[in-house]
Amino acid sequence: MTPVLSVNQLTKFYGPIRALNGVSFDVPKGSVFGILGPNGSGKTTLLGIVMDVLKQTSGSFQMFGKTPDADTRKHIGTLLETPNFYHYLSGERNLRIAAEIKEKGHEQIDDVLKKVNLYERKGSKFSTYSLGMKQRLAIAAALLGDPDVLMFDEPTNGLDPVGIAEIRNLILQLAAEGKTIIMASHILDEVEKVCTHVAIIQKGDLKTVGTVAEVLSKNADSTNLIEVSADNLEQLLIVVKGFAGVTEAYVQEGFVKVICGQDISARDINRYCFDNGIVLDRLNLKRKSLETTFLEITGKVSER
Amino acid sequence: MLHLLKIEWLKLKNYRTFWILFILFLISLFGINYITFLVQSNRPQDPMSTALIGAPFQFPEVWHTVTYMSGFLLFIPGVLMIITISNEFAFKTHRQNVIDGQSRTQFIITKMMLATIFAVISTIVVFITALLFGLFEKDSVFSTTGITYILYFFIQAVSYMMVSLLFGLFFRRSGIAIGVYFLYIFLLENLIAGLLDKYANHIGAYLPLKSTNSLIPFPFFRNITSQFYYEPNFTILLVLSAVYLTAYIIVGKRKFETVDL
Repeated sequence: MTPVLSVNQLTKFYGPIRALNGVSFDVPKGSVFGILGPNGSGKTTLLGIVMDVLKQTSGSFQMFGKTPDADTRKHIGTLLETPNFYHYLSGERNLRIAAEIKEKGHEQIDDVLKKVNLYERKGSKFSTYSLGMKQRLAIAAALLGDPDVLMFDEPTNGLDPVGIAEIRNLILQLAAEGKTIIMASHILDEVEKVCTHVAIIQKGDLKTVGTVAEVLSKNADSTNLIEVSADNLEQLLIVVKGFAGVTEAYVQEGFVKVICGQDISARDINRYCFDNGIVLDRLNLKRKSLETTFLEITGKVSER
Repeated sequence: MLHLLKIEWLKLKNYRTFWILFILFLISLFGINYITFLVQSNRPQDPMSTALIGAPFQFPEVWHTVTYMSGFLLFIPGVLMIITISNEFAFKTHRQNVIDGQSRTQFIITKMMLATIFAVISTIVVFITALLFGLFEKDSVFSTTGITYILYFFIQAVSYMMVSLLFGLFFRRSGIAIGVYFLYIFLLENLIAGLLDKYANHIGAYLPLKSTNSLIPFPFFRNITSQFYYEPNFTILLVLSAVYLTAYIIVGKRKFETVDL
């Protein structure tokens, strides 16, 4: 089947800074495709090139098997980076402009506003909206014309927890309707909860790509994630890092999370800590999450 | 075409700043001509001064006088033009328009059409102003002689609008764009023109905006000034105006089509 989006050796320089480095991947039809990467890794640059607001230095991309033009974009709902609207116009009037450009009828405007819970404030000026409301309006604009492909760049940016849950449910619902969703995010949890596929990019390099299950299993056989805790986490962290075979350790949510080789068991860690004068009060061997895989792939925080 | 202009209309229709400035422009157009009218009507009514000054608000001179004076106010629709483009940059709606399905070419062409419409509207208003002043001036009999000044004013207006569009495109922020635009049209170009006139064989009048300004020469004391001051070649001025205008369009279009938005 022809991929919805196919990028081929995309490279982008901003002056001397390389934002994308020969990135290639395909987005299959009907997938929820997460582009995951730390801030500044090139996610927005990638989507910007695909939407023709940025020009690539080299490489190419295709949508539905052909080089896209302005008309192709009319059938894609896109939220790129920030909600971009005329501040002096109401939410509704802004959507009229979007609908007019997309050549979709105005009669859908109320529907999409209701979908994102903004209907009551449709007459207020955009400049009076909160960050979350602006984000909702941008999502509403993307939904105009019921497009088959949606591109969301950090869709839950600025939303409160309830809003985040709503938007996630909306994305899942859209996916269930068979729409293809391409979503850039730096929030692992978000990608893990809604995506079927994931591409991880870092500093413009594509690190890995595939279904979420593939990406997890690709790295799953080589490492374990063990959670440990003790009275003194800092000391524990230093000790654990000194253990041969530990590839990465960091403190999170009151635990020291240890990523280590498959050959190291919870028992080994326990003994090693005890030998070094630390008595563990918690010890968990965790199922691997996308988060640990992500951290392994992208390296330590300081290296990002 | 109409569809693109309809989108542009939706953007401007409820933009209060735009309409306030537009109304001020209309008032100022009448104002600057009325001030000129008052000044010249206060002159001594003897045959000597009449021979010198002429009757600037009678037909056919009124076409010349009004278009000349109104040219000084073209910076106002110029500012409106800069605001309409720099707003897009400020709100990043130029990106959103492209994302939503306008081509970059459509976007920039629409702005150029808007610039032309601003010029057409300015010209119509100036035409009406000249007509009214001419009709209300005593001893004035309607005449279309010299009505070509309306055409020259239109050329001047289009050039000003396109230049302001370029300033907006290149500086992106309204503050800096308007600042540099004012500096250029009021100071820099006059300075360069002055220097060129002094040291380079009077070619100052052929600078980009000067060449369109020079299409409508200083209307008062014509009998005297034309004898003492160098008068640029009119055909060259017309050709240059067209060349510059083409250049603005090509540069502006190229700029928006290739740059990272």
